[in-house]
Amino acid sequence: MGKLEGKVAVITGGSSGLALESAKRFVEEGAYVFITGRRQEALDEAVNQIGRNVTGVRGDASNLDDLDRLFDTVKREKGKIDVLFASAGKGEAAKLGEITEQHFDAGFDLIVRGTLFTVQKALPLLNDGASIIMIGSVASVKGFPGFGVYAASKAALRSFARTWLNELKGRHIRVNVLSPGQVDTPDSQRLDKETREMFESLIPRGKMGRPEEIAAVALFLASDESSYVNGVDLAVDGGFSAI
Amino acid sequence: MGKLEGKVAVITGGATGIGLAAAKRFIEEGAFVFIFGRRQEALDAAIADLGPNARAVKGSVSDESDLDRLYSAVKAERGTLDIVVANAGVGSQLKLGEITAKHIDEIFDVNVKGTIFTVQKALTLMGKGGSIILTGSSAGTTGAPAFTVYSASKAAVRNLARTWVEDLKGTGIRVNVLSPGAIATELATEALGEEGLKAYGSMTGFQRMGDPAELGAAAAFLASSDSSFMTGSELAVDGGLAQI
Repeated sequence: MGKLEGKVAVITGGSSGLALESAKRFVEEGAYVFITGRRQEALDEAVNQIGRNVTGVRGDASNLDDLDRLFDTVKREKGKIDVLFASAGKGEAAKLGEITEQHFDAGFDLIVRGTLFTVQKALPLLNDGASIIMIGSVASVKGFPGFGVYAASKAALRSFARTWLNELKGRHIRVNVLSPGQVDTPDSQRLDKETREMFESLIPRGKMGRPEEIAAVALFLASDESSYVNGVDLAVDGGFSAI
Repeated sequence: MGKLEGKVAVITGGATGIGLAAAKRFIEEGAFVFIFGRRQEALDAAIADLGPNARAVKGSVSDESDLDRLYSAVKAERGTLDIVVANAGVGSQLKLGEITAKHIDEIFDVNVKGTIFTVQKALTLMGKGGSIILTGSSAGTTGAPAFTVYSASKAAVRNLARTWVEDLKGTGIRVNVLSPGAIATELATEALGEEGLKAYGSMTGFQRMGDPAELGAAAAFLASSDSSFMTGSELAVDGGLAQI
């Protein structure tokens, strides 16, 4: 019997990378999964790859109407959510001195505002005892040049988890942040050999994470195995942020 | 098939509480477990409970020759070691103004020095895929009256993992910290009483104390390949106690 038998999961930004891998793992463990993504083609491909017990809903996590459509669909088809996995996020680099209003807004709209409204709009559908997982980043506790806005937006999510832990107390809803380090996703695969080696040299493990290694941790946080884990920021980064 | 099938584990402080809960879960997942503890009576009761895939070695982590006997027993019976849970710990309370050298030595000898030698002496038996779990505490990141020395010892334990990530580079051995808080062990129940437990539990995000089995589940996660990309991390299992 799977660890998520009969559970309903919603994964934003679920059409690629570690979120897609998590969606596959959740379905293997018995869950029904809703995934979202902005590009219809990528979403269709992801739905195909997952193969069963999945619904793709096209939408942008920073667009409130799209979020309404997503949760209307979930409500109509399943009526509840047990696992909410907010992973939509994207980071562009810009150094202090070069940051534009557009760069700031793009980062904070999707990651901070988008995640906040994803969770808030999901609340009426979340079961008591549900698990909320937000994707943070090791960037939030390190100081990568050029990633000030991205890191700050991820740090904001870590802070949300603390406040929401208290605000959701009565409903026993758990809220945790999973902070991946460098993961071998399609985005990382586009890096040139030298940059890739530079990144890997910074990871004590010596190798980037594989998406399925992140998915295994997401499963832990989604399932009852982590029933007393609440409000944490869990680094899954091969030791990168520990040193 | 369990996620620790064929693995060999050592759990110090394994006869009661969190250590015993981890031992139970590891065995359910297919592991063979050596528990290490100071009281023969508690060890005997634990072995009766754990069944044939457990062995007990009596000793204290603050005594190097006891640890040598532990690892000799592991080597003789199983040859290798995959998982170490350095869990043995002690705690007592004294306010600033009342702290004695004896109080510091008692706590640091077991919690810090004991943890260092538990791990250091295990290394020759361990290899690629090994997982070391250090038991920290929510006290390591929070401030509670009269917990100066205990809290500092657990903060030290958390930091050991940071350095060891570097020192273990290239070995394939991972090291993580499991930090419990507000767990309803027998020891906590004795120390706090029913009312105290209720008050403590109400401070968490779930408004209840945690069950030792919930720690066992988290320990199994850190011991297994489910956490293969995690090293140097701290996993708090405290209902949110140290997060707010």
